[in-house]
Amino acid sequence: MRVSSSTFTGGFIGEIQQLEQQQNTLQEQASSGLSVTLPSDNPSVMSEVLNLQTNGAANTQYQSNITQLQASATTSATAMNSLQTIVSQVNEIATNASSGTASSTQLSTYASEVEACIQQAMQLGNTQDANGNYIFGGTDSSTKPFVATTDANGNVTGVSYKGNTNVNQNDIGLSMTVATQVPGENTTGSGAEGLFADSRTGADLFKDMVSLQQNLASGDTSAISSTNAPALTNDENNIINQISANGVVQSALTAANTMATSQNTNMTTEITNDTSANMAQTMTELDQTQTAYQAALESGTMVMSVSLLNYLQ
Amino acid sequence: MAGQSLSVETQATAVAGQNLANVSNPAYADEQLQVQAAPSLDTTSGDEGTGVQATKITQLWDSLLNSQIVAEDSVSGSLNSQQSALQQTEAYLNEQLSSSSSTGTSSSNGLAADLSGLFNSLQTLSTDPTSIPDRQAVAQSAQQLTQQFNSVSSGLTTVASDLNTSIQNGVTSSNNDLSQIAALNEQIINAQADGGTDNNLIDQREKTIEDLAGYANITTSAQSNGAVNVSIGGVTMVADGATPDSLQTYTNSSGQLMIQAQNAGTPLTLTGGSIEGSITARDGQVATLQNSINTLASTLITQFNSVYSGGYDLNNNNSTQDFFTGSDAASIGVNSTVVNDPTTFQASGTSGDTGDNTVVLSLANLASQSLSSLSNQTLSQSYAATIGDFGSALQSVNSQISNSTAVSQMLATQRSSETGVDTDTEMTNLMQYQKAYEASAELVTTVNQMLETLIDMKTE
Repeated sequence: MRVSSSTFTGGFIGEIQQLEQQQNTLQEQASSGLSVTLPSDNPSVMSEVLNLQTNGAANTQYQSNITQLQASATTSATAMNSLQTIVSQVNEIATNASSGTASSTQLSTYASEVEACIQQAMQLGNTQDANGNYIFGGTDSSTKPFVATTDANGNVTGVSYKGNTNVNQNDIGLSMTVATQVPGENTTGSGAEGLFADSRTGADLFKDMVSLQQNLASGDTSAISSTNAPALTNDENNIINQISANGVVQSALTAANTMATSQNTNMTTEITNDTSANMAQTMTELDQTQTAYQAALESGTMVMSVSLLNYLQ
Repeated sequence: MAGQSLSVETQATAVAGQNLANVSNPAYADEQLQVQAAPSLDTTSGDEGTGVQATKITQLWDSLLNSQIVAEDSVSGSLNSQQSALQQTEAYLNEQLSSSSSTGTSSSNGLAADLSGLFNSLQTLSTDPTSIPDRQAVAQSAQQLTQQFNSVSSGLTTVASDLNTSIQNGVTSSNNDLSQIAALNEQIINAQADGGTDNNLIDQREKTIEDLAGYANITTSAQSNGAVNVSIGGVTMVADGATPDSLQTYTNSSGQLMIQAQNAGTPLTLTGGSIEGSITARDGQVATLQNSINTLASTLITQFNSVYSGGYDLNNNNSTQDFFTGSDAASIGVNSTVVNDPTTFQASGTSGDTGDNTVVLSLANLASQSLSSLSNQTLSQSYAATIGDFGSALQSVNSQISNSTAVSQMLATQRSSETGVDTDTEMTNLMQYQKAYEASAELVTTVNQMLETLIDMKTE
């Protein structure tokens, strides 16, 4: 092949350009640590990364939902446990009173103890969470759910429920929902079970406690043993059921959180595997390219610097 | 005889000088002075030479190679303009991966991240539907998303209008080239009619033809009178020294800038060159992307608003106002009422129950819903697929360019090998001419001395 002056320089420039491009690409990969940065670098990886990233962001959001729901479930659980302690105390009083051995002084002490329990149960029924929402008002979380009516002596004669029977569902994973809310009362016969009263179980804590208090005050021990004691046992069972349901919800939250965490770890690994530059390979290639570049420059300048002109006087 | 020889060597030196001067001109074809022995005289002692004469200066032309280079110029012209448009578009999409130690690899500036942002803020609100800060967060993330839609859309519009500008510029430059080719044809025809050839003008014409091929794919036909006629899309644009037609832009029925022959008035369908590349990029990938982004935006607007319209706000109102305003990526926005007063966000699904989260949860769940208007993909999946398709298109153009560059380079090497100037050869020739010139001069001196001797002899 005939080699003209421009054959040589043209080829040389082309070669150098190509090596420079290769060096540039490798250098970018080495400095960013990524083999893919733009959609055109690797379209399928890019679109997969975007999908993984969306799923990852959704998972992180589920975890944040879970944290929030765990907090409110814990708040409910604490309140329900305290309520159970109160109800079992009231139950003990009912059992003691129904034996018929208690003196009238004893009964009136019991009556005031029950009155105090009613007040405490009211307070628990109106528990608010960290955001100021009433946790036992159903979805009507901004209205104080339990309001008492009192007689001239300041004794509670009845407690009315101002909340509703709805509960919000929340996402804790893809197609995984959970409800942490518990309505204070539900006498509609459908939907979430009420904590203080529910028509399906026949529980009606405030009514039964008020009735007990009134029977204690009037000394009607037979009514206590025939009506109040069994009713209050039923009320306590209803609360225990709610506490165990809360436990189920809490463990579901923990499980969902663990799942989201491990999914995110997998996704992060997947994204990293898809996009990370293989450093050892990149550096080796960069080294090779650099050697080729140096060789091209050296040989190029070596050949180009010499021509017939050097030998003409 | 010696004088003629001197003149031939001078001419040869001039040709070598011309070659050396054009050593770095890629369209220049090496020239050679063709010489032959002058007709001999028939004498009694046999044929007697009368020296040398120059016949003509020839060029090392390879017209097949030149036409391949012209065709390749059109291919690379088209690809280069597509590449630059798509690279610009890629930048406007703002989907660039970066790696950070805390979050790993992520792309956090584009629409994908903003879509996640909106749906995540809705999820947060669903856990506490009456929260004002959570409502504000929804309005903010929605605004961020709509601004990103607007910015991508206006970026794509900018790319399209830049492409139109480059089509206009391409037409202007092509018409300049066409006139120049015609003017050069004229001079070449005249030179040839006078019995000569003007190699410099031919080189210059070749260079102009190659430049023109970068704008539009052309067909050339060499004429016996030395002219090269040029036609584009079947319409003759240069005939000998005249330009019977030229390129012109026009707006077609769908409002797009296209190319036609100015005098013939026929629309031209180009298959190569930067003008075609600009049209292909504008009506191809850029338009497809714009459509996909618009479909994404309009689907979001429709789906979101239809769920949202069934909701009640914190003041227990069910307004008929939409959450997202507008109809496509360019016009999408967030209802200013909600932005100014987050209590008006309709999160509850039940009248009178402000703590209900039914509507906000349904809105959050739109994120994972397969939508028929997006080929049964979710919003995010559809966007990721759009990005993947666009990336493939640019990747394909990039690889075509590296192929085309390799071909161009090979052709250039081949041409420079066949017709390029080699300094060493020219210098060697130059020395040869110099020696020959010296020898001829020596001949003159010798003859002169011989004559002097003769004259001296006579005068003595």
